[in-house]
Amino acid sequence: MKHHFRLATLDDLDQILELEKLSFGKDAWPKATMKSELAAKHTYYLVALSEAEVIGYAGLSKVASASSADVQTIAVSGTHQRQGIGRELMQRLIDKARELGAKEIYLEVREDKSAPQKLYESLGFEKIDRRPNYYQPDGVAAIVMRMTISAESIKQPVVLGIETSCDETGIGIVRGNELLANVISSSMDQHARFGGVVPEIAARAHLEALEATLQQALTEAGVSMQEIDAVAVTNGPGLAGALMVGVGAAKALSVAIDKPIYAVNHLVAHVAVDILERGKLETPTVALLVSGGHTSLLLVRDLLSDVELLGETIDDAAGEAFDKIARVLGLSYPGGPEIDKVAKTGDPKAIRFPRGLTLPKDQEKHRYNFSFSGLKTAVARHVELAESKGEEISIPDVAASFREAVVDVLVTKAINACLDHNVPRLILGGGVVANARLREVAQSRCAEAGIELRIPALSLCTDNGAMIASLAAQKIIAGQPPSKLDFGVYSTLPI
Amino acid sequence: MTKVVLAIDTSAGTAVSVLVDGQVASELLDTNSMQHAEQIGLQILKALEAADTKASEVTSVAVGIGPGPFTGLRVGIAAAKMFAEGASASIYGVGSLEAVAFAQPLETPTLVLSDARRSEVYFGLFLGKTPAGVPISLLGPGVRKLAELEAQLKASNQSYSTCLEPVSAASVGRLALARIAEGTAENSVIANYLRAPDASPSKGKKVSG
Repeated sequence: MKHHFRLATLDDLDQILELEKLSFGKDAWPKATMKSELAAKHTYYLVALSEAEVIGYAGLSKVASASSADVQTIAVSGTHQRQGIGRELMQRLIDKARELGAKEIYLEVREDKSAPQKLYESLGFEKIDRRPNYYQPDGVAAIVMRMTISAESIKQPVVLGIETSCDETGIGIVRGNELLANVISSSMDQHARFGGVVPEIAARAHLEALEATLQQALTEAGVSMQEIDAVAVTNGPGLAGALMVGVGAAKALSVAIDKPIYAVNHLVAHVAVDILERGKLETPTVALLVSGGHTSLLLVRDLLSDVELLGETIDDAAGEAFDKIARVLGLSYPGGPEIDKVAKTGDPKAIRFPRGLTLPKDQEKHRYNFSFSGLKTAVARHVELAESKGEEISIPDVAASFREAVVDVLVTKAINACLDHNVPRLILGGGVVANARLREVAQSRCAEAGIELRIPALSLCTDNGAMIASLAAQKIIAGQPPSKLDFGVYSTLPI
Repeated sequence: MTKVVLAIDTSAGTAVSVLVDGQVASELLDTNSMQHAEQIGLQILKALEAADTKASEVTSVAVGIGPGPFTGLRVGIAAAKMFAEGASASIYGVGSLEAVAFAQPLETPTLVLSDARRSEVYFGLFLGKTPAGVPISLLGPGVRKLAELEAQLKASNQSYSTCLEPVSAASVGRLALARIAEGTAENSVIANYLRAPDASPSKGKKVSG
């Protein structure tokens, strides 16, 4: 059974209390205590969910001025034990404690419960004290355990990131939150005559571009191979054959320089890029990622532990739609910039093309999903119909009206996501951000809605290795363990 | 100075070997024709460990450049290229079928075959070796339907024995050393796909039909 994790809210209180009673019986916290724990500023509570059911929770307390943190509680429902949920919850608390600058983490555990003690020991906790008669009315002793967080993991690691999920071979180097190099070699020109990215051509181009891109990145960053602390690589989502080139390369490099490797999710990395420009990621934030391969809306409450995919395209990616319509209009590849160019002189209101999945009936199931295939067909029909009647069409008007339909849907849904979730900021990512109209409309509508808009530099919006390195650097700073060397690639890797 | 060669071939399975001063110190072969991206890192690490060698001690990387199914083939070449960069080692590419031939006596014409999928085979016909031990090619490498290839060889009265041995990474390493010795080693490593990508230029604009 699949489960996922997110920050706990007061809406989870009743389900948490139910599980608290089942797990701790007479020791269970009363409702008022749990409520104030969830609401407190110095606490960090997570829930594990199976669909909408709370199957586990855990909480950490860290007062800003203190150098230590405390694990307040942890429970996993009886039917979901032995699935690694407790371990995952603990690991996330440890990561958070490290991120908050704690040097030590403390917890207490019943002396008569050996399974949790073993789990804590395996995570790096050691027994330091015993408090007799701690748990009443049973009179059971508490074992106090402590984990020391090494200073080493808090420094600013130099990370080399490799990105090969589509047609861009990207190698970037960061030092902690700082961008050192971002080199991109694109095979876009080779795809032009096919009107879209050909996976096999992209994969071949990655293999040929690897060495030169790596050398240029090292030169640009002014670091030697010996200074690299870790290697990071995209292992999905993306084109499988293309991803495998990067993964094979990254694994061998990691072994060659004897440094750890981090497998990174491409979509989450698009959000992590903001850290390189601002020094930190303001959360919560909604992210709208639009490229030739993706059209996704993410809700990021915490970059490392709580990213939710709100919606995505159910057919074409927005960038793909631009490419296909460019073909219909006799424009060249890639379609985005070409359509942008001719649309300048066109009237965006000349033709009212359909806005996919925006009707009231779509709002329940597809409020945050996108669909561009209907729009694509509508534009093609419009052009074909005019041709069959021997009528002239205005290419600028069609381009502008088509672009307006795409941009309108993208921005409307992104802003809805912000408003629905009470999130005051939106970050854009992906190659389609190069589209002038998208930036313009996003800017004006965000300003109207009081939403802060972040648009990273274009070289960081398009697929790149720096974003991969940035996300891995955050994992390292938070003390997350590296990936095992035998990880695979996943063309549809979930968030 | 000790010469340490890391040899890699993913033209069929995932094969990795370490040669120390020309002697095979370790050799691993996973014949699974998938999972190259999963396996390659661990296989390299295990081969180094089994040879009691550190990555930084590797002086040369030898890699099979195919022919072989593209996706897997690329994983090994990408790994070889980046390992060489990381370890500041020189890199050499050798033909994967030629590496199979290297381990055969080649006293009579030998047809080396490997699975090219789509009911075709990759092939190379070899006879004899240079003084350094490099196989001498009569035909190929190429890719064809087996029946067509056999008909062609029959028509030209070519006798041969068939070799279906898997590629051994140790042979890739030793072949590279033989080529270095005779001055025919290839530093520019380019995958030998033998097939163009499956893609045809855009047919124009019809989208709705």
